[in-house]
Amino acid sequence: MERIMEKDTANYKDYSLLSYHHIPGVHNLEVFERAGGYEMMKACFDKDPEAIKEVVKASGLRGRGGAGFPTGVKWGFFTKDRNAQKYLLCNADESEPGTFKDRYLVEKNPHILIEGMIISAWALGTQKGYIYIRGEFQQQAVILERALKEAYAKGYLGKNILGKGFNFDLYVHRGAGAYICGEETGMISSLEGKKGQPKLKPPFPAIKGYRGLPTMVNNVESLAAVPWIMRFGADEYKKWGTEKSAGTKLFSISGDVNKPGVIEVPLGTTLKEIIEVHCGGMRNGNKLKAVVPGGSSAPVFNHDESYSVKMDYEDVASKGSMLGSGAIIVLDETRNIGDLMKWTLEFYHHESCGQCTPCREGTGWLESIFKRRETGKASKADIDTLDKTAASMRGQTICALADAAAMPAQGMIKSFRSELEAYIMTPTNTGKK
Amino acid sequence: MTEKVKLTWNGKQIEAVKGSNLLQAALDNGQEVAHYCYHAGLSIAGVCRMCMVEQDGVPRPFPSCNATCGEGMVIRNDTPKIKAAVENTLQFHLLNHPLDCPVCDQAGECGLQDYYMKHGQYDSQMIDKKVHKEKVQDIGKNVMLDAERCILCSRCTRFTEEVTKTNELGILNRGDHAEITVNENLKNDYAQNLVDICPVGALTSKDFRFKQRVWFLEEVYTTCIGCETGCSVKVSQNKNGSYRVKPVFDETVNGHWMCDDGRSIYKHVSSPTRLQVASENMNGLFVPADESRVVELVTGKKANFILSTSLTNEEYARFFESIKGSKASVALYTLPTQGPEFDGILRRGDKNANLRGAQKAFEAAGFDHTSAGLDKVLNAISASDVAYVVVPEILYNEDHFNTLLKKIEKASTRIALTPGETLSSMKVFNYLLPVPSFLEKEGHIVNFQGTQRQLNAGLSYGETTKDISYYGKWVNV
Repeated sequence: MERIMEKDTANYKDYSLLSYHHIPGVHNLEVFERAGGYEMMKACFDKDPEAIKEVVKASGLRGRGGAGFPTGVKWGFFTKDRNAQKYLLCNADESEPGTFKDRYLVEKNPHILIEGMIISAWALGTQKGYIYIRGEFQQQAVILERALKEAYAKGYLGKNILGKGFNFDLYVHRGAGAYICGEETGMISSLEGKKGQPKLKPPFPAIKGYRGLPTMVNNVESLAAVPWIMRFGADEYKKWGTEKSAGTKLFSISGDVNKPGVIEVPLGTTLKEIIEVHCGGMRNGNKLKAVVPGGSSAPVFNHDESYSVKMDYEDVASKGSMLGSGAIIVLDETRNIGDLMKWTLEFYHHESCGQCTPCREGTGWLESIFKRRETGKASKADIDTLDKTAASMRGQTICALADAAAMPAQGMIKSFRSELEAYIMTPTNTGKK
Repeated sequence: MTEKVKLTWNGKQIEAVKGSNLLQAALDNGQEVAHYCYHAGLSIAGVCRMCMVEQDGVPRPFPSCNATCGEGMVIRNDTPKIKAAVENTLQFHLLNHPLDCPVCDQAGECGLQDYYMKHGQYDSQMIDKKVHKEKVQDIGKNVMLDAERCILCSRCTRFTEEVTKTNELGILNRGDHAEITVNENLKNDYAQNLVDICPVGALTSKDFRFKQRVWFLEEVYTTCIGCETGCSVKVSQNKNGSYRVKPVFDETVNGHWMCDDGRSIYKHVSSPTRLQVASENMNGLFVPADESRVVELVTGKKANFILSTSLTNEEYARFFESIKGSKASVALYTLPTQGPEFDGILRRGDKNANLRGAQKAFEAAGFDHTSAGLDKVLNAISASDVAYVVVPEILYNEDHFNTLLKKIEKASTRIALTPGETLSSMKVFNYLLPVPSFLEKEGHIVNFQGTQRQLNAGLSYGETTKDISYYGKWVNV
């Protein structure tokens, strides 16, 4: 009996996001509530919305979608007019290759996101919200829909929530599987029923977003962290992580480790600890060759960089990469960087929305240059052309996709030039088809 | 009162309206900014990435088309960083471009060619297979699409979305496989504007295709006489003839656009069947005739003039001056209304280009310009009379005109004064005499707003310098 009780209790001490994940059946509202879920939502309705915003700002929570922009500051740009029509969107597109943390979070515990969204909606005064979920996440969409139904039945969503005179409707919207719909304005375009193309900024969504109205877009992980922050306060949250990167973060680890998966650790944990302790070390005892620390658009770390880096926004950036969405892709010595490069360039060529010229033409050309070996046109100088072309794409486009394609390419050239040269000079016969 | 602000562009002080478009302000002040997707008459897309600028105190370059003018802004687009960015972006524009300039109608006025001269890298590194798209697509309304030449600036899709609101065009697919596609063939009446706004040779006019190289053409800036709107236009012509009509930006009347009907107003001017010299009807065949024989024929007979509404104010005045003191009767033939009164954009149903000018001239000379006046003149025509008919320059409804011709059959001498082609219905006339077309005369017309609009003369074709007042003088011989 005691054991079951323990299983029913949330572990707030070690986790903020995964504090309920060990509880069987926590995707059911009843189980979630028994473990302490929705308590903060009820408590927050008695709080001043501005005070909630202040706590979130003071907590130092940074957007977990990839950019790492402070959530509280972003909320500060939002209109304070509570009567104005506006939207809260949850970005669950999670399209960055290597990332699967939001899926894991939503799949096991959809209610923590819903609770976080209701508190955020109350703080921001939004009357309507959408969870934009990646098209491939069909099962997760079903789980979310079911959870929403439960929350509606309980009166936590809809009109006059808990008699507080506050209305909040929440819907699940499934995407059609484009990478760029993970970019907030691309997501808004898609939600509007248009082609998923990012919009020109300014105006930013906080001013003019979905349907031309003020819109707040936050990542699943950011919103799901709100209930914990409200429960224990900003100071407690800041005890985790570093000074500038507060709190815990979910990391999706894939590749050549013994135990790949999603873990929640404080920001600033060393990558070495993550690999050696949380992931059970390298697979087959192989030597680590490289790590992509923040999803496919982050420049790669070589062996030495990987073992010295601390996983927080600043330290990863200072070593020339980015924390991004926290997708750690581990490669051991059996892997060829050329394959990673090929795969990365193919991906971005396929996913460029085609709006801005440097990205539309550049992503395709990068792939063509790198694949010249297939037509027998390759030369060693191609790596320089590749580097130069990638550099000329950066900072030239509406959204960051051009940078996302150029950065890893340049990163791989920087760290593994000789290997890439050997790779492109190895003829293949695929071009002879 | 619009507030003006001062800003610095490449070290030069320029003035602009506060909050106005930065790129436009620079262009208005004579500064050069490369751009493809920006068009003053359309929304901002910001996709061509050519108009990048740097601003003091702003860390990253940004496109000037999406910025507004503010006091004291210090902007540069001549820094090495921006120059390199424009060069690289142009390289990307040209990467998959087919470079078929020798067979492209846009050559000579192409945005890619123009900027290549200035920002080109010249040393091509593109040895890879280009992306191929469909060429020579007839997308309706005299517009041809070559998807391969397209740089996807999205001006055309924005035009059909925002101006005509017909949404025939869209961009299908992603990345370098994105291309302009028609949901349905073009159906709007402003489709030719797509050809004008396309900065490259992706959209060309079927009417103009392969007819002339643009560097052999000169422009005459004049006014469209297709309807009472009176849009500002330019007609491209050379000694071989006129080739196309394009709109000229005019804030007060037509803005950036013109309708498709107006695109063909030049056709009669240098048409092979254009009447060039006085001609006589020999059993249904018109052969050149001696003018003195016509004068002989009309001398001493009562003249009935039926004028058209496409003459200039000056022509009406000169004409009434020329017949002063004679017993000639004068009436005005007005073209029937065609289509809706106003289509909401530019085109109007009233096709009488200078109705207001004509009415004023008639009133000043003491003649009746109403349809009742026309009927009166027509009914009074006797067998011994001469009937002169000034043929309307643009005849939308020939049947309606033919009913007028039926009514003048009573007169023994029937003379047409025509600025255009010889039509089959003109067999009713004994003589055809040429008058200048709208492209061969200077003068003014009055449009629907009551505004004076200028007509300018271009090249002249044939003996068309004699206007109607020359023939009007015959009444007093």
